[in-house]
Amino acid sequence: MSILKDIFTAIRGGASEAGEAIVDANAIRILEQEIREAENAIAKAKQSLTRLKGSEIKLKREINSLNTDYDDYEAKAIEALNAGQESLAEEVAERLEEIANERDEKTAEHKTLEGEVNAINKLVRSREKIIQKNKRDLEKVKTIKEVQKATTSISDNVAATSSSQHRVSKALDRVKAKQQNWRDNMEAGEWMETQEQGDDLDARLKQSGIGGSAGSKKSAILEKLKAKQKTG
Amino acid sequence: MSITLEELAFRLNDHITDEGTSFDALLLDNGVLEVVCSNNDEFPIHLALTETQLLAVTPLFSVNEVMPNEVDNLNKVLLQLAPAVPLSAFGLQDDTYILFGAMALATSFETIVHELEVQAENTIDVLDAIQSLLA
Repeated sequence: MSILKDIFTAIRGGASEAGEAIVDANAIRILEQEIREAENAIAKAKQSLTRLKGSEIKLKREINSLNTDYDDYEAKAIEALNAGQESLAEEVAERLEEIANERDEKTAEHKTLEGEVNAINKLVRSREKIIQKNKRDLEKVKTIKEVQKATTSISDNVAATSSSQHRVSKALDRVKAKQQNWRDNMEAGEWMETQEQGDDLDARLKQSGIGGSAGSKKSAILEKLKAKQKTG
Repeated sequence: MSITLEELAFRLNDHITDEGTSFDALLLDNGVLEVVCSNNDEFPIHLALTETQLLAVTPLFSVNEVMPNEVDNLNKVLLQLAPAVPLSAFGLQDDTYILFGAMALATSFETIVHELEVQAENTIDVLDAIQSLLA
């Protein structure tokens, strides 16, 4: 069962149009209950795991010690054989058999324990999966609820324009006009800047005597007139 | 670290982006944060929180503002336009068309601001594109 399917069913049934909770409160309770149960199961599993781990460590230690004993007696049996003490070697062999039996028992027990630990770990992982899946589902429900809230809430300062004819087009026109106005102002600002820079440049050129000034033109014309007057 | 809507409102009201966008954030009674971006002061963005996300919803228009015979067409066009605005999605909440985006709660303030600015801009672009289908 997925929560999206529930949501789909609710929407098809027209539930959201009446502003009802889109997902049955019962479905949410079930999800939350499952999360709580899974969390409890994990807590219990972790307790058993600690206990099992303790037994496992103890067994491992016992097996190791039996292995050491075995090697020890095996060396002694060979020594006895080398010394020609056949009956002593036979006794040691009996002892070796006992140790081997005990070791095999403990090893089998250890294997069973390992199996139990794996099973518990698997259970923990499956419960974790339920928790994560349910939390994601609850998040979907919560998201829908919040989006609904965010969509329907409009403050007084924007509500004024709602429900008039061509509302969107008018609003769009106003926004675009504002943006154009802003761009025009920017351009005007840039234009002013270049103008000011230009004026400044002209002034500096004039100061340095570069570029024709009105005064010098006048004197040039006067020179020409005087020259004409002489020839005339 | 996650942000609260109160804190977000406080910081937004005091912030101007590199592009010159400023914000007017107002926490409504029901806990929704209304944000008006200066680059689009006609269509405010509504912010809400869940356990893991910051949701940004811009209500666009209602179904009855669409030309009566163009609703199916509009829905199709919106689906076709959706990939072009990957950070905001279209949605229908009851009978209100919305533009919405979601951010992780750990999103930095700078990223949130950028997303809001882009969503405000996307709103204008989307409405401009589909304007001919509206009544």
